[in-house]
Amino acid sequence: MKKKPSFSHMGWMLTPVALIALVAGCSKENSAPVPEAKAQPKISAITTATFGRDSKDEGERLFGKECAFCHVGTSTGSFMLNRRLPDDQKGNADLNKRSDLEADYVKAVARNGLVNMPAFSKIEISDEDLDKIANYLARKKP
Amino acid sequence: MTSILPRGVSDASFNQALSEFRAIVGNSAVLNSDEDRQSYIDPYAMGDGKDHDSSAIIAPASTEEVQAIVRAANKYKVALWPVSRGKNLGYGTASPAEAGNVILDLSRMDKILDVNEKYAHCLLEPGVGFYDLFYHLQEKKLPLWMSVPGNSWGSVIGNALDRGIGYTPYGDHCEQICGMEVVMPDGEVIRTGMGAMANSTTWQNYKYGYGPSWDQMFMQSNFGIVTKAGVWLQPEPEMTAKVDLAFAKFEDAEWAIDILADLRRRDVIQHNIVFGTPVRAASTMSQRADWYEGEGAIPDSVCEEMMKKLGLGWWNARISLHGHEGVVKANADIIRKALEPKMGKELEFQFWAKGEPMEKAAQGVPTTMGLNCVNWYGGRGGHLGFSPVLSADGKIAFDYAKKVKSLYQEVGQDYYASFTIGRRHINNVGLILYDRDDETTLNRAKKLIDMLLKEAASRGFAEYRSHISYMDAIGDTYDYGNHALRRLNNKVKAALDPNNIIAPGRNGIGSRK
Repeated sequence: MKKKPSFSHMGWMLTPVALIALVAGCSKENSAPVPEAKAQPKISAITTATFGRDSKDEGERLFGKECAFCHVGTSTGSFMLNRRLPDDQKGNADLNKRSDLEADYVKAVARNGLVNMPAFSKIEISDEDLDKIANYLARKKP
Repeated sequence: MTSILPRGVSDASFNQALSEFRAIVGNSAVLNSDEDRQSYIDPYAMGDGKDHDSSAIIAPASTEEVQAIVRAANKYKVALWPVSRGKNLGYGTASPAEAGNVILDLSRMDKILDVNEKYAHCLLEPGVGFYDLFYHLQEKKLPLWMSVPGNSWGSVIGNALDRGIGYTPYGDHCEQICGMEVVMPDGEVIRTGMGAMANSTTWQNYKYGYGPSWDQMFMQSNFGIVTKAGVWLQPEPEMTAKVDLAFAKFEDAEWAIDILADLRRRDVIQHNIVFGTPVRAASTMSQRADWYEGEGAIPDSVCEEMMKKLGLGWWNARISLHGHEGVVKANADIIRKALEPKMGKELEFQFWAKGEPMEKAAQGVPTTMGLNCVNWYGGRGGHLGFSPVLSADGKIAFDYAKKVKSLYQEVGQDYYASFTIGRRHINNVGLILYDRDDETTLNRAKKLIDMLLKEAASRGFAEYRSHISYMDAIGDTYDYGNHALRRLNNKVKAALDPNNIIAPGRNGIGSRK
């Protein structure tokens, strides 16, 4: 970290960019610090909260309604997953940008939960809608 | 096959009830396989959560279906546990207090029935989440703002009914409810407030109606199932300002709470103020192991290192101001005068004026970032809230904070607290974090809760809200007149719901041992 952040920028909810840079400096001695550039890209909380909601792609729209608030941008799922990614993949935790997701895997995680992620019931997401979300996430990325 | 039955119901009788439920809502809206019930187990339970397993889930799509379900439930004496969206995380999520209840999942009732721009109110079904309402307001470009809780995944109505808290001027969520539609335990539908008149035009405009006002009766209770409710929204202000405050010393709590509570009481600050510890802040954005891997509670020296690195204090607050330009600027000056001499530095307010990018505004935007806290200890994390109500007084709060911090230290738990400061009270929202699969952290959490319950009660403080596992224990602390209030609640319960089919044990009402 090069510059001390201004007081008004600091609060109980730091941006992950600032945070990872800060936390990196005090990690265990043997773990490599995470460079600031490798943190999740910063997007506004409003964009995270409404991602995909008006998309023409039904899969993206459903992903926006059910998943994006945790898995896009400045949010919990992306934040937790980014911590687990190997160094050369840091910053790519948003599910909609991942190119290694298979539809069956997405469905299994949604139905069973994973570590800190709660499971989704069939009432919350029907099998049919989950198929659409899983296919959207498993699509070939441009 | 269902491996658990509703209390006092035979296998044959339950199967008949399920058939009737299926006839009402359709096969796909009744779930009872092991796998489906597992998807409703509290993901942050202390342990595997099976002690609060349900016998089935039924998900109606309309008020009429809720009525029919309630009538069938009476016939077979099957208890229902209604949830709006089932996201009461930290309080049991969707799980029932009494194992074997059928979860009545209202999340399919997710219609935004009305939003009125002029009066700044809306009428919602219980399945409408904070994100849904936020998107609706954005999409329609309505100049109306919402208050959101720290974790906004859940239902707007559900959170208000459990008296959830937000951090902008409309943050006392139960206060924003205006008019309800409720399915009573006998299946009858009532409307409260002005809605009791069939052609009322003021259901969402005036709360009280004529005669007794019943809305509070349906909050944190089991006297009926709320199927619609009016919610007041905040008209977009002309200007906002926000500032983050970091109080350097633990002892600062005493004077800082007195100043902030006075500003709150006079409505210079129009919202309840979160005033939290470094672990509270750090847990939303890092893991314990980033800072410390030793046994026992995290030492003060490590907290101080954390504070330095993250720009935090021993106590951290965010203040926002909302209103017309002249008022916001004047209130910012009042806050500067009250705090700057004591803090020894200038406060840097960030102002937003109507028309500027919304990112700068002190608007409530739904978020789940607070949920990162469950990852504090690593593993499959969990959290449980323990939140007594204190008077809004610096000395009382600071004395209690010192004692509670020492209890956390005694059991080896990292001290996590926030004092949500209202006009005359404080909700001392404390989260106890644990690893669900680690017996040591679970036992520590349980021991700590017992200690906190006793400590709070001995000082005359009682909880504002409860996790499903502690509903009776917290009810026990409300003991005036040898639990006269519980007797009244149970009398009302027996009169309205003689078969005890709605949420037995909710908040200690109608508990069956």
